[in-house]
Amino acid sequence: MEYEKCYAFEPESVRPAKRRKIESQGLHASWRARHEAYQKAWREQKQRIDAELSSINFSTVQELTTFLDEAAQSNSSEAIPTAILSTGPDTSSHTSVIQQLSRTQNAQARRVFISISATTGANLKALLKATIQKATSRNEGIDDEEDDSTFQRKGAKLLNYDLQILADYVREKRLQQVAIAIQDTEAFDSDLLSELIELLGCWLDRIPFAFLFTVATSLDVLQQRLSRGAIKCLKGQLFDVAPSEDEVERAFEAIANSSTSLWIGPELMSTALERQSDYIQSIDSFVGAAQYAYMSAYYGNALSIFLDSAIKASEVSADHFEALRNLDSFRDYCRGLLDNNAIIPLRALLDSDDSLFKVVGAELSRGGEALANVMIAVEVVRELQLWAQGSRATVPSKSKLYCQAMANKLAGSSLVRSLLLSTRKAPSDAAMRTLTAVMGVEIPKDLKQQCAKIKKELTEMVMNQPNIGQTLRSEDDIKNSTLRTTVVAQKVELSKQKSTLSKQDAAYTALLRRFTDLLEEYLNKTLIDPKSLLFHEIFLYDLKSPHRETFTPRPRHAIERALAAPHDYLDCSCCAPEQGDATLAASQPATAVLYQLYLESGSLINVSDLWQAFQAVLGDSEQTEEQQMALFLRALAEMRYLGLVKGTRKRADHIAKVAWKGL
Amino acid sequence: MGLLMLPDELLLTLTEQWPCREVQLKQLSAVLASAKPSPSALVVHGPHATGKSSIVKSYLESRSLQHAIIRCRECITGRHLLERTTAAVHESLTTEAASGDAEQYNGRCEDMSALVVHLERLLRGRGKFVLVFDGVDKQREASPTLLPALARLGEFVPNLTTVLIVQHPSPRFLHQAGVPHIHFSPYARNQSIRILSSNPPDIFVEPAPPELEYDEEVHEEDKAWLWPRFCAAVWDSLAQNAAKDLVPFRDVCNKLWRPFVAPIVKGEFGTRDFSRLLVNQRRLFQDETVLLDSILSVRIAQATTANHTSHELPYYTKWVLIAAYLASYNPAKLDALYFMKSTERKRRKKGGGTARSGGRPGQKRKVPRHLLAASQFTLDRLLSILQAILLHDFRSTIDVHSQIATLSGLRLLARSGGIGSNDPLELGGKWRVGAAVTWEYVQALARSLKFDLVDYIAE
Repeated sequence: MEYEKCYAFEPESVRPAKRRKIESQGLHASWRARHEAYQKAWREQKQRIDAELSSINFSTVQELTTFLDEAAQSNSSEAIPTAILSTGPDTSSHTSVIQQLSRTQNAQARRVFISISATTGANLKALLKATIQKATSRNEGIDDEEDDSTFQRKGAKLLNYDLQILADYVREKRLQQVAIAIQDTEAFDSDLLSELIELLGCWLDRIPFAFLFTVATSLDVLQQRLSRGAIKCLKGQLFDVAPSEDEVERAFEAIANSSTSLWIGPELMSTALERQSDYIQSIDSFVGAAQYAYMSAYYGNALSIFLDSAIKASEVSADHFEALRNLDSFRDYCRGLLDNNAIIPLRALLDSDDSLFKVVGAELSRGGEALANVMIAVEVVRELQLWAQGSRATVPSKSKLYCQAMANKLAGSSLVRSLLLSTRKAPSDAAMRTLTAVMGVEIPKDLKQQCAKIKKELTEMVMNQPNIGQTLRSEDDIKNSTLRTTVVAQKVELSKQKSTLSKQDAAYTALLRRFTDLLEEYLNKTLIDPKSLLFHEIFLYDLKSPHRETFTPRPRHAIERALAAPHDYLDCSCCAPEQGDATLAASQPATAVLYQLYLESGSLINVSDLWQAFQAVLGDSEQTEEQQMALFLRALAEMRYLGLVKGTRKRADHIAKVAWKGL
Repeated sequence: MGLLMLPDELLLTLTEQWPCREVQLKQLSAVLASAKPSPSALVVHGPHATGKSSIVKSYLESRSLQHAIIRCRECITGRHLLERTTAAVHESLTTEAASGDAEQYNGRCEDMSALVVHLERLLRGRGKFVLVFDGVDKQREASPTLLPALARLGEFVPNLTTVLIVQHPSPRFLHQAGVPHIHFSPYARNQSIRILSSNPPDIFVEPAPPELEYDEEVHEEDKAWLWPRFCAAVWDSLAQNAAKDLVPFRDVCNKLWRPFVAPIVKGEFGTRDFSRLLVNQRRLFQDETVLLDSILSVRIAQATTANHTSHELPYYTKWVLIAAYLASYNPAKLDALYFMKSTERKRRKKGGGTARSGGRPGQKRKVPRHLLAASQFTLDRLLSILQAILLHDFRSTIDVHSQIATLSGLRLLARSGGIGSNDPLELGGKWRVGAAVTWEYVQALARSLKFDLVDYIAE
């Protein structure tokens, strides 16, 4: 190698495993297996999520394609056909739409697809240069049959921002459309954007342009920013992408799929969902949160090795079984066995790893099933809600119901009770719809059969009633009873009077009661507390703090705390707060001392005063004044570096306070 | 050939093609007549949409003069203009010669003197050549000497005439006296209407059923009768004040035509009931929104906004924007009054009861604050106002800062003022709310959060 100035480094595909001096022991030994298990589990999950997300904007992409195709066919040279994609502040969705679009585009039509953003160029020249370069460099792949001589303009070399290059290219390749996607119209300088539009409008008779704007705020804002001439050049149509709540909901449904092996608990899920609605977050961050949850579950919890269904008992070391026996849920289980006098199986579980392994496998799949049933019950509740409230908009999302159900707050809750009550009041046509909807969910077989039976009876009842076409009414509905007031001996008596209800109505009421009782029984049975399941520590991950620390750190708070209370981080005996009331101490780092002095001062600080105060704090130590001055200067420089102070022009000997604590 | 044609006949066809421009055409033919020598420069000027470029072009084409037209709007830089000029001259000469595949010409042209050399070489031994610079006063990145230099090109290159088409020339903009000017005056009312009435649009889109005996000929007559009257009505009501140019006038007429004739199509009015129709449809001529341009055409806009789902800002982003608005429009010295949680709310509403407040208007007239431009604030002030107006405890995390970054990407928040304002790490940098954040916008945000904005905004 010595004779070569440089060479291409080609790493081997698999890096040789490092020989470690100390073999990892104990629970850590299973790390590699867990890593593989994680990769397998997440890959499946990720595929599901991707499939859901790519389908969500399918119709928009279709509409856009049709719009561009029509524009390419019509070839009017009056105004540039413009698709305006209203995306909302979420930045990722429109890039995905544009990506999908450009993927479908290049295949069929003779069209180049260029996407530019505000960072592409700061002036018209740079912008045009980049646009032309992007458009003309894609000649590979559009058509292979043409001779692959590189594209050249006959005649003189043109300036690289001359649109003539593009016009020649379009003529040469017989392109039908040059679609330009501008991804962040808001970030563009208004004048630049107007100028670009007007210029491209001039060339429309030679280059068939089409625009694709993404607008995060609103069309009016865009219109106000453009010049009148630019607006005249555009002929627009508005398109919508799905709102981010829908995206989150779709991603959630993919994550809480019944075939998943690891379930994300209510606390973590609600934190992630809340963050999604509280802040501008792309859907990627939600998916990232789920992935991080998977990683921390598999890497942090050694017992997650049992989640891999392919694992064999011989591959698991004894430490894992020991850890398994220490789980709270397992101990409770053993206590239960002992109370039931089932000594022999208990002894086997405690002594034999093999029998424990069998139980773990069985229990994990049983737990997964129980949680999948919870999901189905959630679906039933949601159907009831949909039919009770009528419109889809007012119904809380499925993810919220999931969080409630997983936290065991749904079974017997007022929500469910009021739902069942309103079902009980429903007239026969509404009840029929509810029944059909509930049967549409994948409920257990016996429940389905009973529902079918009720439905059949109901249909008969409706058919056999004397005046056909009238709906049957329920006795429980208040509308069907009247209050009567009678005055007896100067006292008002209220009496409830059932308005005349036919015999059929009474029978119908009984039938409805049967239905709601059935549902109530089912919901109470299915909506269990996930924390009561055996080995729930393995398949249910619900730790909030890793998520919080990774995704929502508080850098400013951390710095402020470190400076204001250095003991929290240093944990040294010298500046422990118990030593005295004063938090200022000479033993603290100089920057921390200075910061605490800084907190006490106003917005303009006299440096000389600060120095004197600093000296007073350090006073009784044995440093010389020069040393103290050196410390002071360094501390001040550090504060400046951290962005806490800056020089001010108002007074020469003062510094200005820039940052306040606790924001 | 044009040369053999009598000039008067030629003028006649051109005047038919371009009505109301006889004077200008005569002047053009006097200056640029092919038989006679022409001045080295000619300025054609006049306001927007008066037919300058088109008439010059069709005149040159009809006279078969050798010419090249450069559209200066398409040139990005001054150099670009020069290079396009050489290319255009070369192209027009080669097509003139029709010598199939012309030899390549290196049009590299960095400055004006190079252009002179190129032109001299290209035009040597040729006849008269006219070089037209269309809209040269709007040239981007033009050097200050560009216009005078272009006007003098003809002094260096024999047989060359430069035509400069400009909108509003300033006096002595060529630093040269005696350049002939041809003024294209704006069209008056009758002229505009006459031009528009040359091709009236259809009244009936679908052909009439045969039993009505309403054939194409009658239709032609009817629309030729109705359209000029309609155009005159549009001119009197809307266009004479707001759309005097021919192009906006035509747009407005076209926009209003279909709704105007809708009752005729429905059969409620006859085609000649103009005055009754006008009274019936007078609302069309009072509505000034047709004068505004829109990216979406009106019909499409109505169709799409109906099923348009709105994208809302996330919860805390709305709060940040409101805090930013308050920071921009409240004076900093009143912050303690408005945002300290301990201050009495009553006092803040009434304000200090000074002697001035007793009904007598102040000495200075005060402009309402929300009509003024946004003033700047530091980020810490925004964050502290955010803490003050939030009704619940708030854990300030990195997410708030990423939101601020997103908002500034959307230009709802903007860095402002001072040296180094582009540096995001600048200490205590100043911000302000973007132009799109108006009082109405923020009020709508506050309403969606059930936040009483009026309590916190300074009068």
